[in-house]
Amino acid sequence: MRFTTLIARNLLRRGVRSALTVFGLAIGVSAVVSLLGISWGFERSFVQIYESKGIDLVVVKAGVGDRLTSNLEQSLEGTIRGVPGVKSVVGSLTDVVSFEEANLVSVLANGWKPGCLLFRGVRVLEGRTLEEGDRGVAMLGRVLALNLKKKAGDAISISGEPFRVVGVYETESLFENGGLIVPLVDLQRMMGREGVVSGFVVAASASDRVFVEGLGKKIESAVKGVAAVPARDFVQGDNQIRLVKSMAWATSAIAMVLGSVGVLNTMMMTVFERTREIGILRALGWKRSRVLGLVMGEAAALGAGGALLGAAMGYLGVKLLSQAAMASIFITSDLPPTVLLIGVGLGVGLSVVGGFYPALRAAAFEPSEAIRHE
Amino acid sequence: MSNDSSGYLMRANGLVRVYPDGEVQALRGVSIDIRAGESVAITGPSGCGKTTLLHMLGGLDSPSAGTVEFEGRNLATMDLDAYRARMIGFVFQSFHLLPTLSALENVQIPMFETEWPRGERLKRAHALLEDVGMGHRKEQFPNRLSVGERQRVAIARALANEPRAVLADEPTGNLDSVNQGEILKLLDRLRQERGLTLVIVTHSAEVAASCDRVIRMRDGRIVED
Repeated sequence: MRFTTLIARNLLRRGVRSALTVFGLAIGVSAVVSLLGISWGFERSFVQIYESKGIDLVVVKAGVGDRLTSNLEQSLEGTIRGVPGVKSVVGSLTDVVSFEEANLVSVLANGWKPGCLLFRGVRVLEGRTLEEGDRGVAMLGRVLALNLKKKAGDAISISGEPFRVVGVYETESLFENGGLIVPLVDLQRMMGREGVVSGFVVAASASDRVFVEGLGKKIESAVKGVAAVPARDFVQGDNQIRLVKSMAWATSAIAMVLGSVGVLNTMMMTVFERTREIGILRALGWKRSRVLGLVMGEAAALGAGGALLGAAMGYLGVKLLSQAAMASIFITSDLPPTVLLIGVGLGVGLSVVGGFYPALRAAAFEPSEAIRHE
Repeated sequence: MSNDSSGYLMRANGLVRVYPDGEVQALRGVSIDIRAGESVAITGPSGCGKTTLLHMLGGLDSPSAGTVEFEGRNLATMDLDAYRARMIGFVFQSFHLLPTLSALENVQIPMFETEWPRGERLKRAHALLEDVGMGHRKEQFPNRLSVGERQRVAIARALANEPRAVLADEPTGNLDSVNQGEILKLLDRLRQERGLTLVIVTHSAEVAASCDRVIRMRDGRIVED
């Protein structure tokens, strides 16, 4: 007989209780996996927007943590273009629109100049791209077109204004695939932000980090009141991204603590119920450390079961969410292995923590007293 | 066998046990010597301190005053876990087999504290169960065994690590007269074959009569030896 056989038999002996504990822990782990996975996908999708287009710097109004609330004069584009080291620059406006009839809120609407560097990585699946002189036309991301059931040539109402869909596109970014592109002037007019852009994106003449950071400093010197931030830093510092990540961690922490308390409770009950049995083991010569190992082993086994089940539940949950119309704009279905490992690690780790006190209690029993326990 | 120079396997000197509330004195200066290979019955009314004395001889409890020696060594200076694992085997009135394990697995429980590999542990457990007449029931779980069979498995478990002494607390207390007789015969045979020292706490005059020596206790003292 192996030591692990004893652990398994003890858990199976109270099958319903063990199963409920595993399930409670699994809910915590699935919360960790799904929430961290979603926030990770959120961040990665934003980073991909910039990386796929070869954008090195994002220029926004200084002190603004959210691109949507940044307002800069479009005329600054010429000043930035004149900074040595800037290969290309373009201003764009980003805002949010809703399609309530399709139950879609917070759809990103991008106002871009036709032919600008932002169109890099945009693959036209159907119809055509934007052209100079286009007005009242829109390109829909693949996911948005699917959700709205629109194709090239269809009419569409954006914020109450009539548009014609000229193309359907796809990029590496989930956000862009769930959004739409209209001519910059159209979006400026619709949003009452004529002559204004959310910010500028800059492609540098060299892409090494030191050069890009130096170029950012030069731009900030040349144009007062702006922040020129490397694209990845900009995404990581974005208020929305930080909020999503903080919420994910906070909710995950609460779920995990509850799961851990479940293990603590179960193990306390089992140690109390098995006091005499533990006394017998001590009478038969078991060292305190072996009793400790037995109880900790049971807690770890519950943790492993809960962690694996929770990881599977979280993975499936994100897969299902990513197929829902409203969520598919924000949620990618491919969870990184790191997130699964964090979930499993936290599940097992916190179960071991939850089992530690009951294990100490069990190991501390005096055998003669424990044997007399009723 | 390495008894101390006086030939005693176990020796208790002036044992006193006062429970933490300070009011109950379970032992009031008990001294006994037990020779190797001897069978000793400790009898007396309930609450006289017999089980407490047995626990102290077995290293399950520590005296408030006095000493217990095993082969001339004071238990207070020994690793009591190792002492219980290697020198002593316990048999209890209620058998205390683990309900989730088969007879074969129960016998292996004390062997976790040895360095024997898993295969060796299994082999020894098989042999022990054969020796106590339970070879044909080794895969059964305790709830499928009769009370007599359970006590046989408990005896096999007590012998798992080849102890020098078996300490039994009312080993026939839950058995009918037929099973009682068989268990007593079994214990006596094993004692003789293995050179064991046997200390039995019992209320039963029959059990006491089957031993080489009878110690009677009352109110925490030995009144007859």
